[in-house]
Amino acid sequence: MTARFAFDAAMALAILFAGVMVVHRHPVKSVLALVVSFFALAVGYVLLSAPLIAAIQVIVYAGAILVLFLFVLMLLNVPAEVRQTPGRPIHHTLSAGAIVAFAAALLAVFRSYGASSAPPGPLPANPADLAPLAKLLFSDHILSFEALSILLLAALVGAFALARREGSP
Amino acid sequence: MSAADLGIAALRVLAPVLVMLIVLPMLQWVERRGAGLIQDRPGPNRVGPFGLLQPLADVVKFFMKEDLIPSNTDRFLYVLAPGLATFAALSTFAVIPYGATLTAGGRSIPLIGADISIGILYLFAITSLSVYGIVLAGWSSNNKFSLIGGIRSSAQIISYELAMTTAAAGVILSAGSFQLTEVVVQQGGSWFALPYRGWNVVPQFVGFVVFFVSAFAETNRVPFDLPEAEAELVAGYHTEYSAMKFAMFYMAEYINVIVASALTVTLYLGGWTLPGFSPSGIVGVLVSILVFAVKVSVLVWIFMWVRWTLPRFRYDQLMRLGWKTLLPLALLNLFWVAALALWKVL
Amino acid sequence: MTPNGIPIGDVLLASAALFTIGLAGALLRRNAISIFLSIELMMNAANLAILGYASALHSLEGQIVVFFVIAIAAAEAAVGLAIFVALFRHTETIDVNKINLLKW
Repeated sequence: MTARFAFDAAMALAILFAGVMVVHRHPVKSVLALVVSFFALAVGYVLLSAPLIAAIQVIVYAGAILVLFLFVLMLLNVPAEVRQTPGRPIHHTLSAGAIVAFAAALLAVFRSYGASSAPPGPLPANPADLAPLAKLLFSDHILSFEALSILLLAALVGAFALARREGSP
Repeated sequence: MSAADLGIAALRVLAPVLVMLIVLPMLQWVERRGAGLIQDRPGPNRVGPFGLLQPLADVVKFFMKEDLIPSNTDRFLYVLAPGLATFAALSTFAVIPYGATLTAGGRSIPLIGADISIGILYLFAITSLSVYGIVLAGWSSNNKFSLIGGIRSSAQIISYELAMTTAAAGVILSAGSFQLTEVVVQQGGSWFALPYRGWNVVPQFVGFVVFFVSAFAETNRVPFDLPEAEAELVAGYHTEYSAMKFAMFYMAEYINVIVASALTVTLYLGGWTLPGFSPSGIVGVLVSILVFAVKVSVLVWIFMWVRWTLPRFRYDQLMRLGWKTLLPLALLNLFWVAALALWKVL
Repeated sequence: MTPNGIPIGDVLLASAALFTIGLAGALLRRNAISIFLSIELMMNAANLAILGYASALHSLEGQIVVFFVIAIAAAEAAVGLAIFVALFRHTETIDVNKINLLKW
């Protein structure tokens, strides 16, 4: 079993569950399908020699953000979508047309730019070693890192300010 | 990979899992007799000498009870939840080293399920996934007490996960690697020479306390077991579960206790190392496994001891403790470890 | 071709498929939270493409970019869900077709 086969299988699983997410009427089941899809994506990331990003994907995306989605869905008791009786034929046809056109454009772009003309950099000695990534993050990108922490603080304060009830501490 | 390699790899992964599953009924006996000891009563003593066959009786009871699925529940998620909880609990043990490296027959076999480069991050990832087992159990039971219990429990777990990972970050900082084999090996050196190479509990005592307390909250054990307390929420997220599915939740909780103890031992109490002991040959490896098992057993007994001694926290006290006390303490611990590393003590 | 032998075409195809599915979800769902989920899926599709190229060009910068994208997505999810919660308290619905007044 080569890495390519495993990657293709993981991607097929991710795409399948992403489809389930988009199609399913009940939002809680959608979120769970997306969890499986993100987990399959994390497997793909490991095969692309990015184990740290795979771990962060599962810990942050699948394990925190989607849990937050689930909390909000369960606390607000969001019901399943029911099919609207007058329907929205114009909306549906235009959306379908836009999606098909976009997909075609995307495939055309990837076909012509798929193989990058830039030469690959030096082969990393040990792709599983996390030290070079950490060095890069904390030396070249330290400013972005600190700005990110301020952004997270702003998001924390903003979320708290938006979601609290009027007049409560 | 030859067949022998595959066999050895499978054995490395399955051995601790099988040991845990075999030890589970004995743990249950220890818990109930230990509870009796602490509460000055006999504990189970009817079935077999000293009640030793009580776990067997419980297993028979679980098999024979009616396995009912309430109506109006989401059947797929209802049946999936206990399986997910047990699977997550068992998978976390894959990155914990349980003995020194065995060199035999020209191979060097590290006694760990999988020595991946992201070691402890894998463990935190699987813990994040175990939250889903609880949330799904609470929601799919179609019962407001289960839902409240499930949401409270998962909010508790993700809150204490922060304090736990920040405390563990101190250990990762001092070891310089995410891999737990590296963390254990670096605790096996000398306690009295600089740089300090002994157990991490000494320089990082605050981190140890924060980590151990958070482990109680992560495993939903007293004093943090409000989400499943009988007096509060019937049985919280596993109210509607009976027979084998309940048994799986029960098993998952005990396995989580063993894994939390094993993780604490690995990060802070030196794993399989003992000061002044360097394992050599098969005997050395067996001794290292024994040392690890003894340390984990001591911590598991402390888990049980605390359960029958302390009253439980109210939910707001629980959340306040996690966010306003343990998280700042863990951050201070991180600064302290960084300072020690700067002064070349660690 | 990444070091593991995965052709970049596979990665890009998967990324395009995920992005298109996310786009379909964002355009066709009526539930505000489902739309938000589809947007998260689109972000992940972009992450996959960035990581594919990072792997093919043996660059670590790509992984750092994805690290930042995931963290920013977390911040955005928190604030977005807070907005939905506040909205739901006022209007009792999350159907985007019904939330069509600028002031109520």
